[in-house]
Amino acid sequence: MAAVLVYVDLVAGNRPGRRTTNADVIQPGDTVQPHGASLAALAAGRQVARAWGATLYAAIVVHDPTHDGKATTAIRGIDALEATLASAGADKIVVALSDAPAAPLWSSVGATWSGVLDHLRPRLVLFGADAPATPELGPRTGARIGARLLQRARAIGIDDVELRDRDGSYVRVGDSGATVALIGEARVEDICEDDVDLVVLALPGADDHVVLTGTQPAELQLTSDVVVALGDDALGDNVVAGARRLADLLGAQLVGGPAAAAAGAIPHAAAFEPNTPIAPDLCVVVGALALDLAGATTIVRIGASKFADGYLTGPLDAGLDELVRYLEDATP
Amino acid sequence: MSPAMIWVGSAAPLRTVRWLDGALATAAKFGADTVAVAAGDPTWLDLAADRATRAGLPSAGVPTDLSLDYLGWAQVVAAVARQLAATTILVDEASRPERTAEVAAIAELVDKPQLTRVVSIAPDGVVVHAGRVLGRVLQTVRIHGPAVIGIRIPGKAIDEYPTPMPSASMKRLELAAIGLDPIVLAHRALPPRAATARKTADRVGELLLVHRVHAHHGRPRTHGDR
Repeated sequence: MAAVLVYVDLVAGNRPGRRTTNADVIQPGDTVQPHGASLAALAAGRQVARAWGATLYAAIVVHDPTHDGKATTAIRGIDALEATLASAGADKIVVALSDAPAAPLWSSVGATWSGVLDHLRPRLVLFGADAPATPELGPRTGARIGARLLQRARAIGIDDVELRDRDGSYVRVGDSGATVALIGEARVEDICEDDVDLVVLALPGADDHVVLTGTQPAELQLTSDVVVALGDDALGDNVVAGARRLADLLGAQLVGGPAAAAAGAIPHAAAFEPNTPIAPDLCVVVGALALDLAGATTIVRIGASKFADGYLTGPLDAGLDELVRYLEDATP
Repeated sequence: MSPAMIWVGSAAPLRTVRWLDGALATAAKFGADTVAVAAGDPTWLDLAADRATRAGLPSAGVPTDLSLDYLGWAQVVAAVARQLAATTILVDEASRPERTAEVAAIAELVDKPQLTRVVSIAPDGVVVHAGRVLGRVLQTVRIHGPAVIGIRIPGKAIDEYPTPMPSASMKRLELAAIGLDPIVLAHRALPPRAATARKTADRVGELLLVHRVHAHHGRPRTHGDR
């Protein structure tokens, strides 16, 4: 039986006095929870494993400061975590214990993660596309096992399930070779499964050639997240409300030009000067706004049709309304 | 400082050369002998050589009409790195979407540490200090020794740039000369895809759907971080 392996990013619960971020390194004693994007990857893995007759493994890498090789001392609340992963569809949970803190960098968890790959030799490896470690671990995992790489994929079909990415690349049950897929969307089900095996592996720790020394909030123009940008002609009440709703659905920052800030549609800190260079993963531009977007950015324009991966012409509020309704109603 | 090269890719930047210029300017911090490396068709190689020359860097090009996946181009870059004895490899990952995956593939093939999404960098002897962006967080990272580093740093704004002339200064490296067989390499070829923009609400919605936030998602649902 083939193995489908999902890398599950853990994020720390909030610590007293401050809100934690996805980039925080989990400290001993922190309560942890799976990242939402990892749970989506697990859900996609469940769909695929069920259709392909495969075993679904959820793997986590955790710091074992005591070196006693026990998951219970490395993770506070291991039972709750186990239950969460089981209800998300995992058949087996692999806890990879590392002697180094697990930061979302290849240098931090790569050696440990490679040990899991060597142990399971999976045919399909899934990551949550928006999970913190994915930019570092996803492609490197593909290179390590010589796999095809699907970006922002989702599971499609009921009986003949396949994974298909936004560019149309796909993997099906009969395909040869290994595949790594970064999952962008999945139908999250509650499986109600509590009969799940826990496998604990003590594996080599970090490569100290690349060391994380600190974190801080990034300036707005450095963001690699999703942004929804309001043009100077997109400041009507309906348009701003639609853009806010779209930003909510995408988890995006709402930004704009100085005119949007002056009109109170965005805070002044979210205003860009004309031709500011930015490189987010996705930018939805509503109306006319001069931003200097990187070639790596996916661009959607509403109300304009130039230089975009997707666009809608016509009234801005109607275009936003259609997109919001599509995203609210869509079932993977 | 270890010998360095910068991989600027297998096709011209999408939209603007601003990020290519920024990558080349960043590479110049690693020494004037840092080599800018490109692969692909002659027009792109001429442009890459021209922008590298303007940044004060020597250049090398691999002429080929192959269209490869991330592992295929990583094989080309690894072979060039061996030829140039470069151990630190920078990658312009902002100019085209496919470049990000190449950072990891190159690192795997040359068996070096990697760092992606670097937005600031300062070489300091054998140590490199870097800022890496992760969503809305800036990580401060210290790199010891050779590594493969994906950078997304813009240069100055450019409205138009002069049409590059065929460059005599670019060192041409044929695939066979760097130990690669084009027939074997073609096994990593990508099927050609038509890049057509999505124009209806359903098609654009499909594109956005894979960015939709999930319940219990780590990315907060806020607008403008207010």
